[in-house]
Amino acid sequence: MSSFMFRKRASSGSWVVLCQNPEAKTQFVPYLLFSTLSEPQPTTLNKPSKPQNLSNSIENKRILDSGSSSFSLKTSKTLLGSVHNHTFSRNIFVSGSKPLALSSASGKNITGSHCSPLSSISFGSQRRGIWHLSTENRVLASGCGVLVLPMVKSLYSSRGGLAPCSLGCLFGTQAAMEPSTCDGLTVDRIIASEWLILDEDESDWKSHAAAIAQSIHLIKKRLQWKKLMIRLDLLSAEVNKPDLWNDPVHAGKISREHGSLMGKMKEVKAFERELLEHIDMVKLAREENDGELESESMNALLKMRITSKEKETEALLAGEQDPCSCYIEVQSGAGGTESNDWAAMVMQMYKVWAQQRGYKISVVDEMPGEIAGIKRATIKVDGEYAFGYAKAEVGVHRLVRISPFDSSKRRHTSFAAVAVTPINEDASAHVQINESDLRIERFRSGGPGGQHANTTDSAVRIVHVPTGITATSQNERSQHMNKASAMAVLQSRLDQLEMARQTQMNAQYSQSLTDITWGSQIRSYVLHPYRMVKDLRTNYEVSDPDSVLEGDLDGFIMSYLSASLDKDEDDR
Amino acid sequence: MKLSFSPKLSTFLKPSSVTNLHRSFCSSSISSPPPTSLKPQTPLFLKPPIHSAASSDLQKWHDWAKSLASSVGSTFVDLDNGPDSTLLCREIKWLMEDAIEEESEGMENNQRSIRLRVALEELYMLWKQRVEERRPFQYVVGCEHWRDLVLCVQEGVLIPRPETELIVDLVGDVVLGNEGLREGLWADLGTGSGAIAIGIGRILGTGGRVIATDLSPAAFEVAGFNVQRYGLQDVVELRQGSWLEPLKDMEGKLAGLVSNPPYIPSDDISGLQAEVGRHEPKVALDGGINGMDDLLHICKGAASMLKPGGFFAFETNGEKQCKHLVEYMENDAGGSFCNLKIVPDFAGINRFVTGFHK
Ligand SMILES: C[S@@+](CC[C@H](N)C(=O)[O-])C[C@H]1O[C@@H](n2cnc3c(N)ncnc32)[C@H](O)[C@@H]1O
Repeated sequence: MSSFMFRKRASSGSWVVLCQNPEAKTQFVPYLLFSTLSEPQPTTLNKPSKPQNLSNSIENKRILDSGSSSFSLKTSKTLLGSVHNHTFSRNIFVSGSKPLALSSASGKNITGSHCSPLSSISFGSQRRGIWHLSTENRVLASGCGVLVLPMVKSLYSSRGGLAPCSLGCLFGTQAAMEPSTCDGLTVDRIIASEWLILDEDESDWKSHAAAIAQSIHLIKKRLQWKKLMIRLDLLSAEVNKPDLWNDPVHAGKISREHGSLMGKMKEVKAFERELLEHIDMVKLAREENDGELESESMNALLKMRITSKEKETEALLAGEQDPCSCYIEVQSGAGGTESNDWAAMVMQMYKVWAQQRGYKISVVDEMPGEIAGIKRATIKVDGEYAFGYAKAEVGVHRLVRISPFDSSKRRHTSFAAVAVTPINEDASAHVQINESDLRIERFRSGGPGGQHANTTDSAVRIVHVPTGITATSQNERSQHMNKASAMAVLQSRLDQLEMARQTQMNAQYSQSLTDITWGSQIRSYVLHPYRMVKDLRTNYEVSDPDSVLEGDLDGFIMSYLSASLDKDEDDR
Repeated sequence: MKLSFSPKLSTFLKPSSVTNLHRSFCSSSISSPPPTSLKPQTPLFLKPPIHSAASSDLQKWHDWAKSLASSVGSTFVDLDNGPDSTLLCREIKWLMEDAIEEESEGMENNQRSIRLRVALEELYMLWKQRVEERRPFQYVVGCEHWRDLVLCVQEGVLIPRPETELIVDLVGDVVLGNEGLREGLWADLGTGSGAIAIGIGRILGTGGRVIATDLSPAAFEVAGFNVQRYGLQDVVELRQGSWLEPLKDMEGKLAGLVSNPPYIPSDDISGLQAEVGRHEPKVALDGGINGMDDLLHICKGAASMLKPGGFFAFETNGEKQCKHLVEYMENDAGGSFCNLKIVPDFAGINRFVTGFHK
């Protein structure tokens, strides 16, 4: 019945009016509001979305998805309150306004939209709101204007608050629905049509649409879409269990992951719908000979095309741990001074790379070689997505050069191993460490210590006896701080180990340094007899080793990340 | 040896102690470090950044300091277990950290200039003292990072040791589940820079208090400065005097008693690492013939000072002294203590004796 109503409306042209006033629609149905709110801000590679954004949206999501725990109910009420108000003020305003005049403005900020009716109207990004509507929902929305207000009210009042079940249903419908245009065009069909992709400045909607559709395809692949959906189903079931919060730690973990995956899924879905709605608009504008609307929709498509490139890159860093800070650890291979020097060069390369990326670095542990270089060193790299990028560097790096330490100027091959460990800031996700499992050692130079000795060396090594994993810190100025810093390293190594155990993914980057076999060579740096750096995993190569050793690593990192995510067709 | 005069007297009567005291105050005025005054000196990192140097000049200093450090090699290690080049190089980094005002870069005469807390010439002098006179790094910069604290130190006051940090952890463990101890009155005997007292003062409950005593006027001043810097005037009370003497009014009232008294046997003093033997106050190190004079004296008083259930922790010279102390407490102290434990430091040396008053 509803779809019938919709078509009727649409054919009579009133649908256009609605589209021009997405405000009204987005506010009617709670889940729509929520999807608008939770839609992560588009981000660029250099400025990844802030974790606060993420957690906000997670909370919103949790509420609306499960709607069952007491916590969610409480929060839902607040949400409802605001929904109600907005609905009221906006509807009144919107219903009496000229649709086309309203559509031209473009706002940016979601929170800003809550301030006043005026700002809500000029709030262009919310236009996306309508693109979230599935065919069925359009019906609801089609009762635009004043009519809708009582509807919304009754929805709330009759249930005495948020109705988890109805929301769940709505939500489920939305997740399962394959978005399409009015005439049944889907992203997959666009790709199958193989429309020619022209330059961005060619004003051809099919070209834009095809480019965007391909991006969406790639993004899904990078997000391992199928796996993600399966996992999401699993988590949704888990989250809806009434006894979930009996184990708060587990519950926290589950709902965090659920929120984060849900966010990713919804973002892509929303993007997909946005594309299809713009296509609808273009077609409609042509039908109605509305030049203004057509060029506007065209611009919107172009914008999407640009954003989609950013989203592609973002999708490379969609792993749960990717946003974390991390430790980078370099260890020199056999071969004495030449190897130690190579290890120091590798470490220096990462320091510069991290600095150029705007990360904060600090040396945690450094064991110098006897004559030059380092035997091993650990730095902490602080900043968003440090782990996401740096994990691409895990493995053995090989150097071929005439050794400056060889008086007879022979060619040497040296190796340095790199390990990267994410630092999980969320203490509740940490592996519990038993104090009694730890052996804390101080390096002593012999002698009775205590009052006998004056030293500024307060290096501490902590051994986790059951696993044999160790962590060392020596760059802090007090023993207490060295211990804390070594503890943090140990914690992240144990977390990483546990993670690998749990997911059994045993992917390369989940190995700790101790596991790295010296066979897992990832990159070769040749300074003699020719000059080249080549990644053995991707075959990406650069003929200027100096620039690489000066921290210009992004080419290698990005090519590895995309190669590792894009190769696997099954993951789609 | 069982001498029966009071420790305060003994400190002054023991000829070695008198000369020690004398030497520790005078030695500093003979060597180039500024003479010890009773007024606490401002540590380098707290001095105003009123000096500046061209970055190239600072670089020159840095290169010079590094080469001086490298020239040391392992000579000090071989000589008396002193610092090696690697350690000295790390100290250069820390010296710069303390001397340079962060983000202070400016331009002067087309040169990058850097704001400093001491004049560049003094920086040369300080590093020379560090390497050539073996002046302890902590006296050079006027502070020691200890636990999560930065404590001011200067000649005349013992530089708190990393091992001693553990006393605060030991106290932390016992106050954790014990409100009587957490909200109780504690004493730190021979507080030196105030390290232990401040460390404990920060982990006690709102009702907890620490009385810190020391005989040395220099320690008394510096500890006062440190207590103030951490805003603990209402928590840590300083009393000048010998061991338990300033605590006569506290008999039977203490929830806890801790001390790191001088414990080095007199005979070992002359062979100490240069940084310690030449620069730190003997009165903070010399524990008498077998090093146990002060430990035993404090133990003797402990039973009368602690209330039932009260906790004590003492630092010792190692295994031998720990055993001796436990034996003493089990036998001579008439069974007034229980749960006696010997606790090792992170280097694996049996370092502390802890226990409770019955
Ligand atoms: C080894 S230091 C310990 C200082 C500080 N508690 C620490 O751990 O860093 C011993 C301290 O005992 C003080 N001392 C020596 N004889 C004393 C006495 N008779 N009464 C009180 N304090 C004394 C010294 O001045 C010195 O500060």
